[in-house]
Amino acid sequence: MSELTHASAPKRFIGGQLLGSSQLVLGVILAVLCIAISIAAPQFYSEANIIAILRQCALVLIVASGMTMLIITAEVDLSVGASLAFVGCIGMAVLNSTHSLALGMLAALAFAGGVGLFNGLVVTRLRVNSLIATIGTMMMLQGGVYLFTREAVQNHNQLASFTDLGAGYAGPVPVPVILAALIFVVAYVTLRFTTLGRYLYAVGANEKAVRLSGIRSERLKLFAFIVTGLCVGVAGMILSSLMNAGQPTAGRGFELTVIAAVILGGTSLLGGRGSLFGTLLGVLVLKVIDNGIIILGWNQDLQMVVPGIVIILATYLDIIRNRANVR
Amino acid sequence: MSLANIASAKAQPSLLARLFARQELALFVCLVLVLVFFSVTVENFFSVRNMTNVLGQASLALTAGIGCAIVFISGEVDISIGSLLATIALPLIIIMNDTNSLLLGVGGALLFGLIIGVVNGYLTAYAGINSLIVTLGTMFIMRGGVYLYTGQRAIPDNTSLDSFIALSDGRLFNVIPYSAVIAIVLLAAFGYMMQHRPFGRQIYAVGGNQEVARLAGYDVRRVKFICFIISALLATVAGIILAARVGSAQHTAGLNFEFQVVAATVLGGVSLAGGIGSLTGMALGVLILQFLSNGLRGLGLPTEWQLVITGMIIIAAVAFDEAKRRRANGG
Repeated sequence: MSELTHASAPKRFIGGQLLGSSQLVLGVILAVLCIAISIAAPQFYSEANIIAILRQCALVLIVASGMTMLIITAEVDLSVGASLAFVGCIGMAVLNSTHSLALGMLAALAFAGGVGLFNGLVVTRLRVNSLIATIGTMMMLQGGVYLFTREAVQNHNQLASFTDLGAGYAGPVPVPVILAALIFVVAYVTLRFTTLGRYLYAVGANEKAVRLSGIRSERLKLFAFIVTGLCVGVAGMILSSLMNAGQPTAGRGFELTVIAAVILGGTSLLGGRGSLFGTLLGVLVLKVIDNGIIILGWNQDLQMVVPGIVIILATYLDIIRNRANVR
Repeated sequence: MSLANIASAKAQPSLLARLFARQELALFVCLVLVLVFFSVTVENFFSVRNMTNVLGQASLALTAGIGCAIVFISGEVDISIGSLLATIALPLIIIMNDTNSLLLGVGGALLFGLIIGVVNGYLTAYAGINSLIVTLGTMFIMRGGVYLYTGQRAIPDNTSLDSFIALSDGRLFNVIPYSAVIAIVLLAAFGYMMQHRPFGRQIYAVGGNQEVARLAGYDVRRVKFICFIISALLATVAGIILAARVGSAQHTAGLNFEFQVVAATVLGGVSLAGGIGSLTGMALGVLILQFLSNGLRGLGLPTEWQLVITGMIIIAAVAFDEAKRRRANGG
C-alpha cells in the first residue's frame, strides 16, 4: 500500500499541485457547462448575465467560506439556513429602530456569531456530534424566529447605505460580490498561508495527534464555528437588503446548498482535506447550472434535480480518478 | 494512561452491555417522566384516546426510524427519507386512481422505494461515495423530481377506498390505530433481526469496525447495500401511511422529516459513528419527542415553542449521554 502511494507521488506533481485533487474534474465540468449553455443560449456571456451569476454566487460563497473551514476541522453546521433568516429579521428590526447601518450590522454579526459560539461550545465542551447539535440549533432558530416575528420585518428605515449592501454597485461590480470576494480572500489566505490555517487542517485530519502536540483543538473548532456564524451574519444582512425585508421563511434549504457547494469543491466531510478554491468552483458550478436552467427556459424545478446529480457524479468521478492515480 | 486504557479495553464488553441496558432504562425513565408531567398538567392527556392518537402520529417516525437506526448502526447515514416520502406517494396515488386497487398501489410504491434503496445502497456500498453526499444528492433529485412531475400541486386520491382510509382512521379492536400496529409489528420483526439473527450481528460488526468485519469474512458492501434497501422500504411504508392520512400525494410531504427522524434516533442512543444503539432506544426516542410535542400542544404552547424546546432537549439529551459515556470510560 505505502509503496503504491509512493509510486503515485511523482505523477501527482506532474498533474499539477495547483489543481490538485478534485478541482481538475470540477474545472472541466464548469468549462463544459459554460460552453454547452453558451452554445444553446448566446446571451449567457452577456455582461448583465455574468453579473447576475456573480451576485447569485455571493451569498452562498460568503457562508461557504466559513463552512469550508468548519468542514475541514471535521465538523458541520446545519443551522446556517435558519440562522440566515433570523439574522435578517433582527438586523432589519434594529435598523428600523436605530436608523444606523453600523448598529444593524453589529446586531446581525453579534447574533449570528453568538449562534456560532453556541454551536461551537455545544460541540467542543458538551461533545455533542455537530450534525445533531446543529439540527437542534436549527429547530430552535426556526421556532425562535416565529416567536420573534410572525410576519416579514419590512424596511422602514430607507437607509441608502443599507439598500446598497444588496443592490448597490461599485463601478460595474455589485457590492455583495465585493464583500464575498473580500471574505473569500481573507479565508483563503488564512487557510493557505497561516499557521492557524494549517492547524485547522491538522485538527480535521487527526485531532488526537494535534492535541498531543499541545495545540488546543477545541479552540480551533470553536473558532471555525464562530467564523461560520459571522459569515452567516454578513449574508443575512445582504439577503434582507436584497429582499427589502427580513423574512422569517428565508433560507430554507440554504444550509444544504452551502454544504453541497463545499462538498462539490472536494472538501472531505471526514475533515483534514479540502480547499477554498474548490469551494469557489463548487459554488460557480451550482450557480451556473441554476442560471443555465433559467436562460434556457427550462422548468425551474430542475434547479433541485440537476445539482443533486452533479454532487453525486462529481464525487464519483473524483473517486475514480483517485483510484486510477493509485494504480 | 496506557495501563488505564488496557484495563478499560479489557472490561469493555460487559461494560458496554451494561451501558446499553442503562441507556434504554434512562430513556424509559425520561418517557415516564414526560408522561407523568403532562398527565398532571394537561387535562385528558392520559386518556386511552390521546395515548393511541399519539401512537398513531408516532407511527411514521417509528417506521422510518427503524431504517434510519439500522443504517446508522451500519456506520452510514440516510437523509433522503423525507423526500422519499413525497416521491413514493406519486406511484401509490396514481396507480390507485388508475386501477382502484390499494394492493397494486402499494406494490408500485414499494417497487419505487426498492429502486431508490438500490440506488442509495449501490452508490454508497459499491461505488464508495460518502453516504451523506449520496443521500443529500438523491434527496435533492427526488424532491425536485416530485416538483417537476406535479407542478407543485397535490394529487388527490379519487378512489376513497375503504382499505386506504382505514390506514389512517381505522383502529384495531377500535383502540389502536392500524398505522401504529404496522409500526409495532415492523419494530418487533426488525428488533428480532438486529438482536437475534446473524444478519443483525453482521450489521453491528460492520458499523463497529469495518476492517475487523471484513477480516471476519463478512461481505461489508453487501451488508451496507441491504441496509439502505431496508431503510428505503421502511420509509416507503411510512410514506404510504402519510399519503393515507392526508388523502393525497403532497409535493411538500416529508419536508424536514429526515431531521426529525435523525434527531429521535440519536436521542434514542443510536450513535452516528456506527455499531452502537438499538431499535428499542430509537423507539423510545421517537415516543419521547412525540409525547412531548403532544403535551406541549395540550398546554396551549404554539408550535414554535415545540420546535425550540425539542431542539434544546435533543442537544441536552445527547450531551448528557455523552457525559455519561465519558465517565463510564474513565475519560
